[in-house]
Amino acid sequence: MSLGLSHIAVKRALVRALGILVGVLILPSPLWAQVVGEKTDRPPSEGRYLYRSVPDIPIRSEPVGMTLLSALWRERPLLLTLVFTRCAGVCSPMLRSLKAAAASVGGAGRDYRILVLSFDPRDTLSDMAELADHVGVAGDPAWIFGVASAEDIARIVRATGFWFEWEAASRQYDHPAMIIGIREGRIMRFLIGGAIAPVRLNEVIRELRGEFVPAYPLPRKVLFRCFQYDPASGRWAPDWGLLLLLLPGMVTILGTIWLFRRESAHRLSAEALRSREDVPGASDPGSRR
Amino acid sequence: MADQVVVSPVWSGVEQQRWRRLTATWMLVMLLLFPVLLLLGAFMRIVQANWLPTLLPEWFYAVMTLHGLGMVGTWFVGAMAAVSYVLTQYVRPSRAISWGTLAATVLGVLLLLVTTLVGRFGVGWYFLYPLPFYPAGVWPNWATWMFLFSLAILGVGWTVWAVDLLRAIARSYSLRVALAWHYIRGRTEPEVPPAVLITTVSLISALAGFLAAVIILVLSVLEWAGTGFTNDALLMKNLIFFFGHVLVNITMYLGVVLVYDVLPRYSARPWKTNRMVAIAWNTVLFLVLFAYFHHLYMDFVQPQWVQVLGQVASYFISVPAAVVTIFSALVLVYGASMRWTLSSILMYLGVMGWAIGGVAAVIDSTIAVNLRFHNTLWVPAHFHTYYLMGVVLMLLGFAAHFGQEVSQQSENGRLTKIITALFVIGGYGFLLMFYLGGAHSVPRRYAVYPQEVLQGVDYARIALGFIALLFLGVVLYLWETGRRCLLAFRTSP
Repeated sequence: MSLGLSHIAVKRALVRALGILVGVLILPSPLWAQVVGEKTDRPPSEGRYLYRSVPDIPIRSEPVGMTLLSALWRERPLLLTLVFTRCAGVCSPMLRSLKAAAASVGGAGRDYRILVLSFDPRDTLSDMAELADHVGVAGDPAWIFGVASAEDIARIVRATGFWFEWEAASRQYDHPAMIIGIREGRIMRFLIGGAIAPVRLNEVIRELRGEFVPAYPLPRKVLFRCFQYDPASGRWAPDWGLLLLLLPGMVTILGTIWLFRRESAHRLSAEALRSREDVPGASDPGSRR
Repeated sequence: MADQVVVSPVWSGVEQQRWRRLTATWMLVMLLLFPVLLLLGAFMRIVQANWLPTLLPEWFYAVMTLHGLGMVGTWFVGAMAAVSYVLTQYVRPSRAISWGTLAATVLGVLLLLVTTLVGRFGVGWYFLYPLPFYPAGVWPNWATWMFLFSLAILGVGWTVWAVDLLRAIARSYSLRVALAWHYIRGRTEPEVPPAVLITTVSLISALAGFLAAVIILVLSVLEWAGTGFTNDALLMKNLIFFFGHVLVNITMYLGVVLVYDVLPRYSARPWKTNRMVAIAWNTVLFLVLFAYFHHLYMDFVQPQWVQVLGQVASYFISVPAAVVTIFSALVLVYGASMRWTLSSILMYLGVMGWAIGGVAAVIDSTIAVNLRFHNTLWVPAHFHTYYLMGVVLMLLGFAAHFGQEVSQQSENGRLTKIITALFVIGGYGFLLMFYLGGAHSVPRRYAVYPQEVLQGVDYARIALGFIALLFLGVVLYLWETGRRCLLAFRTSP
């Protein structure tokens, strides 16, 4: 009997312990159980968010302190990126790639600033400072590492096409790697992906300066393009789409030649048959010479 | 050998009657759709006149889509049917295919009606990618599918029809003869009627345009089927305007076929193929494939040499076909003992409308001008000129000629004068409001004009007065010609 009671008590204790463990793992963040933003398999669509206003949220950052986003973008354009410090995936490589590209292109701090904002509510300013140190930009005035409230982050996420989702199995957030170019509070461009090519970043910065950038490729799988544009040289090269554009004309010409030859052969064979039969005036009205 | 041309095909009396019945049916369909589509156009001007302030703007765009596609389609099939009838003098097209195309056209039009009036699909006739896939809650997904399906039905029907007419020509003429290349070399034998030459040129171009439409549909379905691929917007726009521009152009050229064939009957002078005519139409065959680039001047990602090619092709395409035809028409009429009937008057006015619309089109195809005019009412002004006062008048002229030829009913001279006056005053008055709007920077495709361009409201209101006159002219025309076509339909077996 006492053994039985003891067994039940142990089971109850185990269940309680498991419950506490689950609670510890899941309960701290209300965001963990849900997707924030519109999750999609495709890269965030720039066309959908272009020229939209960015919510003017308050942020906390180490060199600046508490400030509104508008105070930052009024000074100079911003490159905004959303990361989390415990990221075992794309965040750090993307920031390093951005640092290298920015160094290559130049103008950081003078023409624009880079705002790295954490979307993880667990991240503190000291976490962000560590990240800055880890990336190698600590103390660089061109870079701002900040945090904001979960509600404000959700507003930014919804306004920019970014999204994140907690994955319990990997204990990591799933999220896209993107950089958002902001001028005077409006979205000017997206850069999607963990590797930032200097030539692409240069286009964004030119756009942020107010220059007109006529063309740039969007991050998507395009079937056929008419031309490929090389932003480095500013030259166009024909692509497969151009061939597709010539196809109707070429097929029609070949098809017409085939049709006329076929009908011509039909006509000649009918004439030959008639001449063999040698019946004057009994010709097929549709195929007389 | 194969260059030898055939003599006219022999049709039995019953076959002739059947062709008349078929042509009468097509003409009746065309004449039935015309006033309905005209009223839809008037509805758009009523919205722009701000006389329906509570109406949702999406109705404007749904009706714009139906009006545009309906008009382009109606006059294309009308022109094809009329040209088929004219060609029976020289070749043997298939009646069965023409009937089949009629069925496909009716089905396609019905689907289009549902798509626009029930589904409120409002992308414009050019369904510019990727707009059909971004309805923004205005039209349901099925409307996009149904629209693509209706285009596929119409496209298949019209392609088969065009191939059959070409086949009929090919059965009697070699390609070199059908394109009158021996005229270019200075020979005049064997004789090639202008109708055969221009139809061959037009149909070859039309087939290229239809193939472009097939590629558009395939690419659209590939994207929409969730393959993960997206299309290149520039490629899609090129294909769409290749198809659209060619379709509209060849409708015009098929109208010209009718003028070449019918007008000489009223002037008692022959209008034959000669070296200039042969050179002109062979030039068209080449240039028509490149002129559409002028629709893409605003697409700065298109390389500059393509834009220049668009302007050069647009300039040169108007010279051979239009100038040769217009000059020849003037020569045909000048000093001739002309029999001015409703048919010959409308055909002559149609050629002149083509000239006026052509000049406006050439102005608009100039890059420096297009930068200002591109999105203004100048654009609908010029294409309504060569459509409404060009090919439409040519086709109405043909229907009048056909109706009278078959019914043998005498014409009411007074009514002819009234119809002509109403067409000219109503038509050109309506167009003038578009031109003035364009010259004053009033944008096109606006359901409601903003404060900055409120003069567009006044132009729309004045235009409605002219549209009323035009509509009255159409009603009187239908009374004159429609009943003759109806009689032709009833009296043919």
